[in-house]
Amino acid sequence: MQPHRTAITALVIETLQDLGEDLKNKDLQSANETTRLFGSRSALDSMNLVNFIADVEERISDEYEIHIILANESAMSRTHSPFRSVSSCIDYIMKLIAQNAE
Amino acid sequence: MNKVALITGTRKGIGRALAEHLLNQNWTVAGCSRRSSELEHPNYHHYTLNVGDEAAVVQMVRQVKRELGPIYALINNAGTAAMNHILLTPGNTCKSLFETNVFGSFTFLRECAKLMSRQRDGRIINISSIAAALDLEGEAIYAASKAAIESLTRTAAKELAPHGITVNAIGPTPIETDLIRGIPEQAINSLIQQQAVKRMGTVNDISNCVDFFLNENSSFITGQIIYLGGVS
Repeated sequence: MQPHRTAITALVIETLQDLGEDLKNKDLQSANETTRLFGSRSALDSMNLVNFIADVEERISDEYEIHIILANESAMSRTHSPFRSVSSCIDYIMKLIAQNAE
Repeated sequence: MNKVALITGTRKGIGRALAEHLLNQNWTVAGCSRRSSELEHPNYHHYTLNVGDEAAVVQMVRQVKRELGPIYALINNAGTAAMNHILLTPGNTCKSLFETNVFGSFTFLRECAKLMSRQRDGRIINISSIAAALDLEGEAIYAASKAAIESLTRTAAKELAPHGITVNAIGPTPIETDLIRGIPEQAINSLIQQQAVKRMGTVNDISNCVDFFLNENSSFITGQIIYLGGVS
């Protein structure tokens, strides 16, 4: 059964909060769906964006046995990156999970 | 707890020898190949897959981490060769060789590096060949694939250094494996004459370099290609 968006939202936000604890970053510790992941006002630098993506992939793999790859050619695009915000990231993950199920 | 190494192409040849070498040094080894392995050891775990299948590689790497623990070392060894004149090389041969030698290595590198990045520690070793350095005639596609691996090694070394990961490559000379079984003796001898040290290589020559790159004191060694036999 595919995970519901609510479950993926919780997973993504929990991953960010855990990363925030590691980095002692208050913005990440209080992450929500509007938190920016990429760009000048982002709470993550490029290295931690990579770590975040790897963590999310791993958690989805561990919890749901769904092996998606979040790597994306538009990842570093200011306007098209699926990692612009938590919300756009969740949309992207749900799309990949749906494609994976086809 | 044993450190975990993932080695591709462990059913035979260099990959199997390196797996046995690390097992003898108390590593836990996750190996893979298209077919099952006859290597039996309590710390050896074999996975059957085509390294050119991105989804299968992703699944394997995550499974290894889940079942065996954090991956400390990746040795990208799986490879195929195609000995032929350019004018006689079919496009499909070119495509399938790059799928195994380049795309497979890239996917393993990317997926293992993601996990190593969280540990901020890891070693990646790609197996190249002196064919790339010597621009060997009759091996255009194979040499091109290894040249791609060397470029990937140098760039990945730069991108992954901030994550605590080193990336290096070894370029072996011909050694006695199935990969060179179909090459005429005269061609092998001609190749050996281009080396500074004029003999066939051995798996010990390769495992010696692997030990160097995996050594805890080698954290400052990255982006390097070591050719065996004095080829440069």
